[in-house]
Amino acid sequence: MDKTAISRGLQRAPLGQFLLWLGPWIALLVFGVYCAYLCLRYGLHLTNMDNRFAFGAWIFLDLTVIALGAGAFFTGFLLYILKRKELRAVINSAVTIGFICYSGAVVILMVDVGQPLRAWFTFWHPNVHSMLTEVTFCITCYLGVLAFEYIPILLKNRKLRQIPSFLVFEFNMHKVMYVLAGAGTFLSFFHQGSLGGLYGVLNGRPFVYRESFGIWPTTFFLFIVSAAAAGPSFILLTTWITSKVTKKRLVTQEVYESLGKISGYILIGYVLFKTIDTLVWISMTAPGMGVHPDSFFASKPGYTALHLLEVTIFGFLPMAIYMTKRLRSQIKWLVTAAVLTCLGIVVNRYILTIQTLALPTLPFDELLSYMPSWQETGAFLMVIAYGMIVYSLSFRYANLFPLERELQRN
Amino acid sequence: MFPWVYGFEWTAGNVIFLGLFFTVVIVILTTVTVAVVRSRRAFKERRHHEVKWESTFEDLGSEARPCRHQLSGETDQRMCRHGFECKDCSFHKQMLDSAYKLVEAESDRYYHRGHAWVRKESYSTVIIGLDDFATRIVGPKARAKLPKIGRMIHENGTAWRFLLGDESVRVLAPVSGQVIEHGGPDRGWYLKVKLLDQGADLRHLLTGNEVNPWMEYEMARLIRMIPESCQAGLTEDGQLVDDVTAKCPSLEWDLVCSEILLEP
Amino acid sequence: MSRAKEKPEGAPRYAMTIDLDKCTGCGACMVACAVENNVPPAQSGANDRNGTTLMRVYAMSNKQVYPHAKQVFVPMTCQQCEDPPCETVCPQNAVEYDWTTGIVAQIPVRCLGCRYCMVACPYHARAFNWWDPTWPEGMEATLNPDISTRSRGTAEKCNFCHHRRQLARERAVHEDREMCEDEYQPACVEACPVGAITFGNLEDPNSAVSKGFAKPEAFAFVEKLGTKPKIRYLSSQKWVHDMARSGVPGKEATNG
Repeated sequence: MDKTAISRGLQRAPLGQFLLWLGPWIALLVFGVYCAYLCLRYGLHLTNMDNRFAFGAWIFLDLTVIALGAGAFFTGFLLYILKRKELRAVINSAVTIGFICYSGAVVILMVDVGQPLRAWFTFWHPNVHSMLTEVTFCITCYLGVLAFEYIPILLKNRKLRQIPSFLVFEFNMHKVMYVLAGAGTFLSFFHQGSLGGLYGVLNGRPFVYRESFGIWPTTFFLFIVSAAAAGPSFILLTTWITSKVTKKRLVTQEVYESLGKISGYILIGYVLFKTIDTLVWISMTAPGMGVHPDSFFASKPGYTALHLLEVTIFGFLPMAIYMTKRLRSQIKWLVTAAVLTCLGIVVNRYILTIQTLALPTLPFDELLSYMPSWQETGAFLMVIAYGMIVYSLSFRYANLFPLERELQRN
Repeated sequence: MFPWVYGFEWTAGNVIFLGLFFTVVIVILTTVTVAVVRSRRAFKERRHHEVKWESTFEDLGSEARPCRHQLSGETDQRMCRHGFECKDCSFHKQMLDSAYKLVEAESDRYYHRGHAWVRKESYSTVIIGLDDFATRIVGPKARAKLPKIGRMIHENGTAWRFLLGDESVRVLAPVSGQVIEHGGPDRGWYLKVKLLDQGADLRHLLTGNEVNPWMEYEMARLIRMIPESCQAGLTEDGQLVDDVTAKCPSLEWDLVCSEILLEP
Repeated sequence: MSRAKEKPEGAPRYAMTIDLDKCTGCGACMVACAVENNVPPAQSGANDRNGTTLMRVYAMSNKQVYPHAKQVFVPMTCQQCEDPPCETVCPQNAVEYDWTTGIVAQIPVRCLGCRYCMVACPYHARAFNWWDPTWPEGMEATLNPDISTRSRGTAEKCNFCHHRRQLARERAVHEDREMCEDEYQPACVEACPVGAITFGNLEDPNSAVSKGFAKPEAFAFVEKLGTKPKIRYLSSQKWVHDMARSGVPGKEATNG
């Protein structure tokens, strides 16, 4: 029914089947919007956050999706600045995912803050010493860049491109895309880093405080490197999942291997850096603040194990898989490594956002626990549903994978 | 944020941070503005058709873009990067100036890569038609939506549209001019066009010895699109059947036409 | 207004000492603080973790069993740090160290409610307004007219009852004299039945507070973090000093 809106040469499910797929996601979105509305209307007491757990599931979600959405800037950098031509096959998908991740994160942030209408205060009275100011400025700018990168993808839709002004505008945007890619890389470098810096500067929390290079704690650089490693892995994963769900070949094996190799190289740097940083923290930083790291989780040794896992199973192992040529040629190993890398991000962000706040800072404190309320979970799921819907629509009506037409012919 | 806002101080931190921020914002806005301005200029100078074609050409697969000199055997595998606009192509000029000269055939037709042909009627008028190959692919059932008399057509823009059901494909116009007559389908769809500039510049069109190798190439391209089971029924008495897509149910009219008529 | 980078000549620096040997854990300071600062009544779902307790009394034990078990009560409030971790992190400059009094000021009308300051503070001094503040019918009469109420979605903390200083200075100006330091006392100091809390000007070497700071029984909590708190706790028990130095329950501070 909507065949004329779908790009030529691409097979898509019948409209009815597509709507059946969208149905549950739309329902989830509606539920999530309702939860967000409740929190905005009645107050944040509907969440399970409190004065000790001031950051909760939403901040954890924000940090995770922003790190995973880093694929957008990194692929743009690799393609437009370093001229890695094979990544042209996934750049549209990467930009779409980036747009979804950042817009979703901003929406959740507006629900998370107590006074969203005062959001402009950060711009009007910025505190340049605060990492959060840096995050706010950069993420807002970068969302703008992503919007300008995403709109041309939509304008290339088969029906929309027939409008001359759309096609001409899209063509001219494409000619200047490398400038936007460069600006996006610059902005991403800073906000990915500052998200890490948020925690590294907290001299009141020995668990996360780290040594600094200049004004930037090591977590600043660790976050950038981990985001750069996770970006290509997440693109690998989402492309593979999309191709499995839609039962189509979307990219060549070469593209998967390229993404894996890039992720692997960066993981080498990350594992090395993180190991050194942790050792410095254990031996110097934390004791200097009067705490031995042993004591943090003395009552719950399983929590310490999570730290080890992050660097070993979720860091070293996928790196080893990616860097082994024999394994890299098999898609199942690539996907395994991608899953592990992305989980590594999730674990790392969890440790920083949730575990930090659970830990005592004063001698009469207890180890606390936190579980999000159903309203919080609902709003969280709203972002997931939003992402699925936007991606599904983009996949159906825009040309996210330029190689698809060629590949399905063979 | 700005110096006149209450609480602002000219500290090094503020200057560097806000300086960088405003620089990045200006760079982004300037870039987008440049794209918008260039687009508007293209429309004002009526070059938007050229831009549309440039964009469309980029989306054609590499298979659809072999250089005419590759097809005529003059050079190795080469992809056209110039929108088939051989008139101002440095490579085409270089090939013309070189030792190999094409022998001009007596044929009075000049072929566009989009399968429309041009025949000079007089100094300032031409006839535009669709070649036999494309006509058989479009088939007799499609209805042509020809431009009105007096309408302007633009080189590499739309000459006319074919409609079948709710799908449509356009035919690329080989030259620019004003439509003074149109007709068909009894002896084939055609347009009679009064040229914009006096004297037709047809250097971007294939002619003479170039035509056959190109036709063979296009035929091979067509065969690659057709599943093996249907390939036998493609020709009758050594000629392509009247209605190619009708012979094969799994073949989509829209898809085949879009490949041959260069509308991705 | 430009923020002064240095302390103006003659400006006071207010600080507090809290004697843990005297504190009985009665909680009068908590009640007085809540009443004085227009803290709204708790609503359904409020508990000790999401209620607004600008002053809060904790129990600290040495984790031993009888007959060695010991315990003290620790009134904990904003330590008015000289190097406040909450100031550098606020994205809107809604937290500011006031050089004219040494008090860390919070601007509630500029607060976005991002709660980053609450994450930064190791002393659990900060509370967030999780609910819309409402006073049941008739209870508006209990509101203190000298201090504003805060809206939902903003963070707040103790500010050493700064409004009382304003009132004391106004009274002094009205009576054409200088303000005596004793005239300015936060509500908790006034309310403590055993006089465990002393408040005064650190810049005055003769004040009770300055003398308290110099005593060997005086210590600060988690001093190694480098926040430079302006509240000293007094205790004659060594185990209390040892525990306070480390930030982890039941663990003594390491050397380093």
